[in-house]
Amino acid sequence: MTKGVKIIGAVVLLLLIGSVIAMLLNFRESDNTYVSILQNNEVIYSFDLSEEEDRTFRIESPQGGWNDVKIEDGRICIVDADCPDKTCVHTGYLRSEGVPIVCLPHKLVIRFSDKESS
Amino acid sequence: MKAGKLTRLALLTALALIIFIVELHFPNLIPLPGVKLGLANIITVYAVYKYSPKEVALIVAARLILGAFFGGNVSALMYSGAGAALCLAGMLLIKKVIPYRYIWLSSVVGAILHNTGQIIVAVLVVGSFAVVSYYPILIISGCIAGAFTGICAQLLLKRDLPEKRSDV
Repeated sequence: MTKGVKIIGAVVLLLLIGSVIAMLLNFRESDNTYVSILQNNEVIYSFDLSEEEDRTFRIESPQGGWNDVKIEDGRICIVDADCPDKTCVHTGYLRSEGVPIVCLPHKLVIRFSDKESS
Repeated sequence: MKAGKLTRLALLTALALIIFIVELHFPNLIPLPGVKLGLANIITVYAVYKYSPKEVALIVAARLILGAFFGGNVSALMYSGAGAALCLAGMLLIKKVIPYRYIWLSSVVGAILHNTGQIIVAVLVVGSFAVVSYYPILIISGCIAGAFTGICAQLLLKRDLPEKRSDV
């Protein structure tokens, strides 16, 4: 094992351990109910999920394209979109602070927010 | 560029493209943006150790552009492009200090850099740091995927390199 391998191996290992710790801290289920929907980094919707009635609504992107957002039993998810990969749909319900629902083609982010900003 | 070399590079590009398209049909176990196995990078790692930097860049660029059109996701090109550029630069830099037995490590570094490039573009595109919270899971998935593709490439190279490289 050469010096280069040791150094690079150590850096990779540290990154990996750091990431595992960050993930464990970040990916816990959140009991927060305040959610913001951002498009092009501007908040377009902001609400308290526990007070929202069940519904499905469509968010149009200014660049073209849409995402159908569903609110059900105090949970939120994207049920359909016209993007090619549908990663946002497969992400499922919003669960933790660390994993926002992201639709990169439509620059849409759904994430938990602080109570004050709602 | 000699016709023989051009043919070999084209063949590798075609191979990478086929692997890429086959992988598109795999169901994604972890449906988060940027998380995938990236089997086509077996060819990238192989080429990094087998051809000159310029030739590797040609293979990867051709595969990315063709892959974007074949896969029907052209907007993903900027993410994969930035990721691949960073990944290639890093792998070519550390190629000299990584002996052949540790090619898998170089592939892990490449995968992490690839994900770093993607996240940087995603931050610029979305205009928000919200996507950075994906970074830890991308690093973890990158380490696993990178190690896997790296081991595959290492096994390939072991059978392919001339005798003097018996230290593989």
